[in-house]
Amino acid sequence: MAEVNIIIRTADQTRKAEVSLDTSNTGADVIQASVDNWSLPTDTDYSVVCTTSGKTLTPNSTLGDNGINDGDILEVQPVLVAG
Amino acid sequence: MITERYQRHSLIDWFSQEEVRSSKFAIVGCGAVGNEVAKNLALLGVGHIDLFDFDTIEIHNLTRSVLFRENDVGKNKAEVAAERVKELDPNVHVRSYFGDFWDQLSLTQAKSYDCIICCVDNFEARIKLNQLCLITKTNLINTGIDSKLSQIEVFPFQSGSHVACYECNLPFSAYERMQQRYSCGWLKKISYIEKKIPTTIITSSLTGALAASHALNLIRDQSMNDAKRILIDSFTGRSTVSTIEQGCSCPGCSSLGDLVSVVTAKASIESNLQLACFDYDDHFTSSEPILVSIRCIECHPGLDDCKVIFENASDFDSTIAICNECGKETVEVSIRDSFSFSELADKYTGFDLPCKFVRYDADNRTTIIEME
Repeated sequence: MAEVNIIIRTADQTRKAEVSLDTSNTGADVIQASVDNWSLPTDTDYSVVCTTSGKTLTPNSTLGDNGINDGDILEVQPVLVAG
Repeated sequence: MITERYQRHSLIDWFSQEEVRSSKFAIVGCGAVGNEVAKNLALLGVGHIDLFDFDTIEIHNLTRSVLFRENDVGKNKAEVAAERVKELDPNVHVRSYFGDFWDQLSLTQAKSYDCIICCVDNFEARIKLNQLCLITKTNLINTGIDSKLSQIEVFPFQSGSHVACYECNLPFSAYERMQQRYSCGWLKKISYIEKKIPTTIITSSLTGALAASHALNLIRDQSMNDAKRILIDSFTGRSTVSTIEQGCSCPGCSSLGDLVSVVTAKASIESNLQLACFDYDDHFTSSEPILVSIRCIECHPGLDDCKVIFENASDFDSTIAICNECGKETVEVSIRDSFSFSELADKYTGFDLPCKFVRYDADNRTTIIEME
């Protein structure tokens, strides 16, 4: 299984980490790990954007499906509901 | 007089007042962001604005709602916003719709807009509006805020079927959160307290400006082909712009045929069965889950001894699971959203279809039958 070294950060950039992840991990896995490790609010939903390519990661697609490479930055963004 | 009003706009080389004047927008949700979008579109001098909201103004809305005053508390948001828009620019044709947009906004009307701007405060309404816009290929701008972040998502559905929709990137957890409002599938919980997300005028005005700007872009630049999201941190000014990718298993758009046709019919099942666009063995999906029947498993143990209801499941709450005869919570409830036309003919003639529309898919073609 291939691994990629990437940076994961929150949208406000108050949290950032360099991690090695298997390319079979999905966007949902990245979100779960971020919520767990950074104690992000659990009453909020999140999505992931690769800021390097400028594309969102669909929830069930893997890092490999999305062509995530070493050095890419994944941003965990809250899904905003208020209007 | 009119020319003088827009004199400054006429000095901008990329701004066509004529184009703006002939445009038509709908704003669904007239809360904090809806106020800002309506105000901006009115001051820009757009031709038509339709405003939808079922809610009334409360005193705590006034810290974020530029169009509302203390005297308006208790009045309908859409009606008051429409009055204030008229005051801002009497040349704008503005209409207000008091009630749930799902009941008020027909597919034909949805198609008539250059863009619909979604300013609601929950996932369910967003998903429903996304459906209407997908079916009618009407451009959609979704907005969202919290106390710090502003977000808009632009879905240029007019440009073709390859455009990602709102559900393409919606996390699974959003569906789980939506289901917390219901029990037994789609029956409303008797007491469910929605979490309130605190916001300020700063994020709502920022979002309203972005939404209005992109609404103008959609009428100006027909070449916008991809769905995109803009997220701005109002504290730092930092923004992230991303292309929204189409999800291959998206519950919103993946099963929609390349060809979508819309027909209207009376809600009676007999009227629908008279339409010649399907075979009796075809299955269709209703736009809302239908409460088909109920049966108390203790008072009426026979499987055929059920009472047919055939009404919209969202009109009922979880108390329907309590038997009127024995008083126990032993009522089995059948809620479905998929039927065959032959089943309708055999079992449910005499009933109306209790939904906004039904949909059936065959040969990469989707047919929508909208109830009149």
